Amino acid sequence: MSHATAAPRHLVLRLFDERIALRIPLRALITATSLTLILLLVMSISLATGTYGIALEEVWNTLRGITISSAIDNVVWEFRFPRTLAAALVGAMMALSGATLQNATRNGLADPSLVGISQGAALAVVALTVLFPASLALFRPWAAFFGAIAVALAIQGLSHTRQGGGAIRFILMGIGLSAFVASITSALLTYSEIDRAMAALSWLAGSINATNWNDVATLAGWTVILAPILLALSRTMSAMRFGEGTATGLGAPIRLANNIQLAIAVALAAVATSVVGPLGFVGLIAPHAAKRLARAGMGLHLILTALWGAILVSLADLLGRAAFAPIQIPAGIITAAIGVPVFVILLVRTRPTQTH
Amino acid sequence: MTVAAAPSPVRHSARSWSGVPVLLAILAGLFLLHIAVGAKALPLGTVVDAFFAFDSKDFDHVIVFNLRLPRAVIAVVVGATLALAGALMQGVTRNPLADPALLGLTSGAAFAVVIATSVYGLATMALLPWIAMAGSLGAAAIVYIIARLVPGGATPLSMTLAGASVSAFLGAVISAIHLLNQETFENLRVWLTGSLAGRDVTMLYYVGPPMLVALLAGILLAPRVTVLAMGDDVAQGLGVRTGPLKAQLLAVVVVLTAGAVALAGPLGFIGLVIPHVVRLYVGSDYRWIVPYAALAGAAYLLGVDIIARVAIPPREISTGIITAMIGAPLFVHLVRRRTR
Repeated sequence: MSHATAAPRHLVLRLFDERIALRIPLRALITATSLTLILLLVMSISLATGTYGIALEEVWNTLRGITISSAIDNVVWEFRFPRTLAAALVGAMMALSGATLQNATRNGLADPSLVGISQGAALAVVALTVLFPASLALFRPWAAFFGAIAVALAIQGLSHTRQGGGAIRFILMGIGLSAFVASITSALLTYSEIDRAMAALSWLAGSINATNWNDVATLAGWTVILAPILLALSRTMSAMRFGEGTATGLGAPIRLANNIQLAIAVALAAVATSVVGPLGFVGLIAPHAAKRLARAGMGLHLILTALWGAILVSLADLLGRAAFAPIQIPAGIITAAIGVPVFVILLVRTRPTQTH
Repeated sequence: MTVAAAPSPVRHSARSWSGVPVLLAILAGLFLLHIAVGAKALPLGTVVDAFFAFDSKDFDHVIVFNLRLPRAVIAVVVGATLALAGALMQGVTRNPLADPALLGLTSGAAFAVVIATSVYGLATMALLPWIAMAGSLGAAAIVYIIARLVPGGATPLSMTLAGASVSAFLGAVISAIHLLNQETFENLRVWLTGSLAGRDVTMLYYVGPPMLVALLAGILLAPRVTVLAMGDDVAQGLGVRTGPLKAQLLAVVVVLTAGAVALAGPLGFIGLVIPHVVRLYVGSDYRWIVPYAALAGAAYLLGVDIIARVAIPPREISTGIITAMIGAPLFVHLVRRRTR
């Protein structure tokens, strides 16, 4: 049962005899709904757009299982639908990873691709495909995870000094580390056979064009495992927004929560990277965009962030393949082109105390 | 004898001079080695013979002059100029993290070149260095403005971060333009990874004269950079007009960087690594840092390029990959050491 709003701007839900009660800010709820609608719109446009044009109506009918023609069936089910789903899932995962990383490091500029986590995952995947070409695609997410966690641990270790790390220093070290990791990846590519290197190259630009249903299953499976843990942690995460001292005072298990958050941020970025390659700046933009649109508790904020990320990458993918057709621009290039100006704006707005 | 007062600068000067012949010898050795190694290894004797007793019928001599020598010369020029530019930038901005690549100057030049060649279909090489200069100057200005806007002002860290963001943005745009123009992509792909392979030596005729002027200007301005590195107030107190000096140095750095980019593409971290290594030996006097950086940079790039060519035969690693592999850890170390 739901009834009675407490304040004009909040919706209070009391379910199961008040055993579960939620106080949801109305504005955030409306934002979430509209973002969902926008996402669905972008996804359907994405399904309809391409070299083989299909009307929205036909797409809809095909998705409901009505066969219009086998060609349309094939294009929608085998090519566009998995690609669209993968784009949305990857976007949501990178966005959640960025939000979690920002919370765990208490650094508004953190992003898995900026601090080298994506590059670590990329190096591991490239190494796996170049050195063991016969290895199964199943191992890719795991290799990516270990590569990513190695870089994450390195950056944690490096930035932890007596003075404590400032936001800019942390990011700069990440940039240095990613340059190093990326140079090893490039060297590995030079070393490998040319056809394998070419495949890896398009993957490294953050391109979604080669995704199939297996990739969607991988992405969806990991999202279903990782996202609920994050939502369960959301109360601790909101306590940590106030800083370490206050969070400890509020009874939040800081150390444990920090480690879990870091692991989840790394895992999300690693799985997404293992499928589409390093996709820059999504994890940076989405949480800030979500914060801008509506103030919400951590749980709802995470959902908004995930929606933003999904929209962003779906849109980048759509733009990348429709704007200059028949040439496809990898989504990673478009997210970087949008992301850098956002990053600069955020950088200019950092508090002076954080800049050193 | 007043032993206490005099010896320090004298000894310092003597020690400083002592490094020059050593560096020159290393440079000459690496130069010959660079020419000797490759797909067809030549004995060092043949290389020396090719210089002093050139025989146009000897196939090996032809290889030396037509294929190997241009690449070695370009490595020397690019290494020297990037290191020198890095040293000057570190002095002027009092930023130990300054480097033409890290502060966005090389990607600005590369961006301008890519736009000019692929969008406007520029074919004349003569204009290319000037376009590259305009690009790197523009990028430098944008980086400086962003860094100034960051709360806390243009600190070394904010400047480097601004440089990295500008580079990332220009890099994304360059990739997009490339994908749209497959032909130019083929032509520029190797150039953009910062490789010395297959460089056109005729470019040297166009960029050589301005680079030489800038190189000399850099060495002449070096003593005043030492004063500038102590801070604007100190420099003004000592009678240096900081404004015009900074403008002159910026011009020198831009010309050097743009020339190096036109020759070899965006090579990272050379301007960061070499001045720091040189400083370990000659201290903080830019009269010495600048010429030493030029010599050491030339030797360094020759050495790196030798590694790039022999590491995984028969293929070649892009030189820029190896400079990043060596430079990035030093960068991380410098950021880490910098507590404020």
